[in-house]
Amino acid sequence: MFDWIHQVPILSIVTYLPLVGALAIIFLMKKENGDGIRKFATIVVFVDLLVSLPLWFEFDRAGELFQFRESASWIPSIGVRYEFGIDGIALLLVMLTTLLGVIAFLSSWSAIKTREKEYYVFMLLLQTGMLGVFMAMDFFLFYVFWEVMLVPMYFLIGIWGGARKLYAAIKFFLYTLVGSVLMLLGILALYFYNSTGLLGIEGLGNPKTFSITQFHDIGASIPADMQFWIFLAFFVGFAIKVPMFPFHTWLPDAHVEAPTAGSVILAGVLLKMGTYGFVRFSLPILPQGTHDLLPWMVGLSLIGIVYGALCAMAQKDMKKLVAYSSVSHLGFVMLGIFALNATGLNGGILQMINHGLSTGALFLLVGVIYERRHTRMIAEYGGLSSKMPLFATIFLIITMSSIGLPTLNGFVGEFMILVGAFNHTWWWALVGASGIVLGAAYMLWMFQRVFFGPMTNPENENLEDLNKRELLYLMPIVVLCFWIGLYPKPFLAVLEKPVDYIVRKVDANYDANVVALPAPASSAEAAD
Amino acid sequence: MDQIPFQEFLFMLPEGFLLVAGMILLLTSSAGRGVSSRTATLFSLMALAATAVMVHWVAGEAPDEPILAGMFVLDGYAVYWKYLLLLATALTAVLSTRFLEEAGYRAGEFFSLLLTATTGMLLMAGGHNLLSIWISLELMALSSYILAGYFKQETRSNEAALKYFILGALSSGIMLYGISLLYGATGSLGLTEIAAGMPAAAATAPTLAAIGWLMLAIGLFFKVSAVPFHIWTPDVYVGAPTPVTAFLAVGSKAASFAILVRIFYEALPHFALEWQVVTAAVAAVTMIWGNVAALTQNNVKRMLAYSSIGHAGYILMGVLAMSEDGLWAVLFYMVAYALITLGVFGTVILLERKEYAGETYEDYAGLARRAPYLAAMMLIFMLALTGLPPTGGFFGKVYLFAAALEAGWTWVAVVGVLTSALSLYYYLGIVVQMYFKESDDSTPSPRPAGGLVAVISLCAIVTVLLGIFPDSLVEFARASLLPLP
Repeated sequence: MFDWIHQVPILSIVTYLPLVGALAIIFLMKKENGDGIRKFATIVVFVDLLVSLPLWFEFDRAGELFQFRESASWIPSIGVRYEFGIDGIALLLVMLTTLLGVIAFLSSWSAIKTREKEYYVFMLLLQTGMLGVFMAMDFFLFYVFWEVMLVPMYFLIGIWGGARKLYAAIKFFLYTLVGSVLMLLGILALYFYNSTGLLGIEGLGNPKTFSITQFHDIGASIPADMQFWIFLAFFVGFAIKVPMFPFHTWLPDAHVEAPTAGSVILAGVLLKMGTYGFVRFSLPILPQGTHDLLPWMVGLSLIGIVYGALCAMAQKDMKKLVAYSSVSHLGFVMLGIFALNATGLNGGILQMINHGLSTGALFLLVGVIYERRHTRMIAEYGGLSSKMPLFATIFLIITMSSIGLPTLNGFVGEFMILVGAFNHTWWWALVGASGIVLGAAYMLWMFQRVFFGPMTNPENENLEDLNKRELLYLMPIVVLCFWIGLYPKPFLAVLEKPVDYIVRKVDANYDANVVALPAPASSAEAAD
Repeated sequence: MDQIPFQEFLFMLPEGFLLVAGMILLLTSSAGRGVSSRTATLFSLMALAATAVMVHWVAGEAPDEPILAGMFVLDGYAVYWKYLLLLATALTAVLSTRFLEEAGYRAGEFFSLLLTATTGMLLMAGGHNLLSIWISLELMALSSYILAGYFKQETRSNEAALKYFILGALSSGIMLYGISLLYGATGSLGLTEIAAGMPAAAATAPTLAAIGWLMLAIGLFFKVSAVPFHIWTPDVYVGAPTPVTAFLAVGSKAASFAILVRIFYEALPHFALEWQVVTAAVAAVTMIWGNVAALTQNNVKRMLAYSSIGHAGYILMGVLAMSEDGLWAVLFYMVAYALITLGVFGTVILLERKEYAGETYEDYAGLARRAPYLAAMMLIFMLALTGLPPTGGFFGKVYLFAAALEAGWTWVAVVGVLTSALSLYYYLGIVVQMYFKESDDSTPSPRPAGGLVAVISLCAIVTVLLGIFPDSLVEFARASLLPLP
C-alpha cells in the first residue's frame, strides 16, 4: 500500500516539507493575513504527519538496522556526506515529532495573536531542524541540524514568551551553544582519529568521513583516555540539552517563559535530542568512556530524579512544576540508558516517547487554562472539576500517565527502567523508585488543589470547558497513552534491533540472558 | 645584477593600472567642483573590474617563481588574495557612494585614496621581499590614515586619523627595525634568501635574529589588530567614516594577514616552533579579550571593532596550525569574514545619520517591523559572525577549529569554541533590538538606497550559499596554498 515511499527520498521529504512551507509563507503570504497563515501552516504540518505515517508501516522490523537510507556527496573536501536514515529509535522520535508538531500548531491558534507570520515561519523551521537531527546519519550533518534548530527556538521564546522572555531566550541559546561547540571539538577529534590522527595518536588511516556507522565500528579501538575526553565533550553538549543535573537551570526559565506550543515542542522533542545523543553517539562510539564515567552518569541521573521531584513539589506555578517534573523524568530516562542492558535501554527510549506525550499534554492543558484565566498559579484555582468536567478528566488521565499508573504509558517505561537499573545495581532502582513516589505526591497534590475542594475564587465561575479544537488535539495523546500502556509491544518491537545493537556495542560480551551485567575491568576498579 | 627582462614589468600591469586610475581620479577631481560621488564610484568600479581581469591574465602568464629580481611573486596564493582584495574594495566603493553625498565631502579624492590603498594591498599580496612588502604596506597605510580622517569637520574622524597615524607609524617603525635586524643577521631582504641564511645566522647571532623576527611579528600583529597590539582599533573604527571602517576591517586586515602568513611560511620557517608558541598565546588572548570587551559595548561600530579583533584571533588559530588544512581554512574564512563584515557595515550605514547618529544598539529597536528585509539580512550576518549554520561563518570556524585541533593545539581550539559561544551574546544584542523591542519616535528609519541594498543582499546570499555549498570556495582556496615550511 505504501510501496511508493521506497521510490522517493521519503526522509528528505518529511524533513524539508516544513521548510518549504516556511519559505512559501515568507514569500507568498502577507503578514496581515494571520488567519490564512495559521491555516496554511497547520495544513503543512498535517500533511507532513500524513507523509511520515507510512514510515511506521513500511519500516521493516526484521530488516536492516538503518532504513530508508539516502546518501549523496555534500562536502567532499572534508568528507561530509548528506546521509539520512532511521533505525527504530529514530523512527519513534520522528513520529513523535510530526505528531506533536500538528498538536502544537493547533494549540497555537488561539494562543498566538501577534506577529503570526514570523511565529509560524519559526515553528516550521524548528520542525525541519528537529526532524533532521533524528534522521542524520552523518555526524556533521547532525551537528548542522542540531545548531540550526536553536535559532527558531530562541525567537519563539524571545518574542512570544512571558514576562522574562529575553532572559530565558538568551539563557537557553547560550547554554545549548556552549554545550554544542564543545561537542563539535569531540566530533572533530573522532574524525581525525579515524583518518589522519591527532595529538600524537596515530590515526586509523581510513578515508575522511563523519559517517556515524563508521564511528560505531571504530569505537572499540579508540584509546581509553581519548574516549574519556571525547565522552566529556559529548556529555556537555547532550547533558545540557537533556538537561541533567546540574546543567538544568535553563530549563525552568525557558519552559515557563515559552509560549505553550514552544513548551510542548521543547519538552516533547527538544529534550529528547539530548538523550538521543547519548544513545546514538556516546554509548556505541565510546564504550570504554561510558564504562569509565558510568558512576558519574548514574549519580547525576539519580540526583536529577530526586532533586527535580523535590523542586517540583515546591512550585506554586503549574508550568514551573511541570518543568521541574521534566528534570526528574529525564533523569529516569538517563538511568534507563545507563543501566546498559536491553531492558533499561528499551525502557529509557520508550520513556522518551512517554514523556513527550504526557509532558507535552500537561503543557497543553496548562496552556488551555492559562488562555482562559491568564494565570498559572495553583493557588488561583480550586474546585474546577465541577465547571470543567471534561478538562478535569483529561487532566487526570495525563496526570496518571505522568505518575506511571498501570494501564497507562508511564508505567511501562518506568517499570522497565527500574528493572534494568535493578539488574545492574540494586540500589539504583531503589533511589529511582523514590522519584516515582515523589512524582505521585507532587502531581496528585497539584491536581487536588486545582480541581477539588470548594470553588473559592469567583473568577473561576465562568470558565468554559474544552472546545472542539482543544479536544481534537488532546485526544490523540490520550489514545496513545492508553495504547502504550495496554499494548506496548508494537513500540518495543521496533526498538528490539537497535537496542540490541547498542548494548552489544557498549559491551561486546553482553548476553541478554544473564541477568546481572558483568562489570568490565575498569569500572570494577573504579568501584573499588 | 642581471638585466631584468622587460616582460616581467608587464606582470605588474594590474597594480600599475590601478595606480594610474587613482591618479586620474585625483586629477579630475581637483579641477573645478570635482566629480560627483556616483561618477567616482562608477569609475572606481570599472577600474577595479579591469584590474581583476588583468590579474586573471597576468596570473595565467606569470611563472610561479619570484619575478623582478625576487621583489614580487605571482603564485596562486597571491592571486587568491588579490581577487579577495579587489572584491572587498569594490563593495566598499558602493558602500561609500551615498555616505559621501550626504556628508557633503568631495568624492574624487576619497575614491582616489581608496584605489591607491588597494594598489598597496595588491602589492602586499604579491610581495616577496621585506623591502617591497614594507613599502607596499606603507602605501596602503598612508592612504588609510587619510581616509580615516576624511571627514575633517568631525572631531571623531580627526581623532581616529591621528591615533591611527601615530600608532600605525609606531608599528611600521618597529617592523622596519625588525627588518633591519634580520637584514643584519642574514644579509638579505628576500624572503627565500632570509630563509636560507637563517640557520647560520641563528647559530652565530641568535639574539639578533630572535629580536629581529619578534619585532617583525609585533609589527604584523599591530596591523591585524591582535591583542595586546590592538589598542588603536576601537577608536579608529568608531571615528572613521563607516565605509572606511569597513575597508579597514576587511581590506587592510586581509592584506596584513596575507603578508603575515607569507613572511612566516617563506622567510622564517627556522623559527616555526617559537612562532607557533607566540602566535598561540596571542591568538588565545586576542579571542578572549576581543570577545569579552565586545560584550560591554553599546556602540555598534565599537562592538564590531572588538568583534573584528576577536576574529583576528580565530584566523591566527588557522595560521599557527602551519598545515595545509590551516592555511586553506584561513583563506576560506577570510572570504566569509569579508562578506559578512561588509554586509554588516552596509546595514550600519543605512541606519546612520549625520553626526554619527544611529550607531547605538537602541537604534536597531523594532527594525524587524520597520524594515523586515534589512533585519533578516542583519540576522543572517549576526548568526554568521557567531558561526552558526547554515552560513559561511560556520564552516570557516569549523575549518579553523579543525585545523588547530589536528595540529595539536587543543587548548587554543577550546578557547576558540568557548569565546565564539560567548560572542553569541553580543551579536544577539542586535537581534534582540531588531526583533524583540519596539521602536519609538527617536529611532532612525533606514533609508534604503539601491546600491547599498544590493551589496547587503549579495553579501547575505553568498554568506548563506557558502554555508550550504562551501566546497566551491574550498577548492579554489586549496589550489592557492603556499608550500609548507
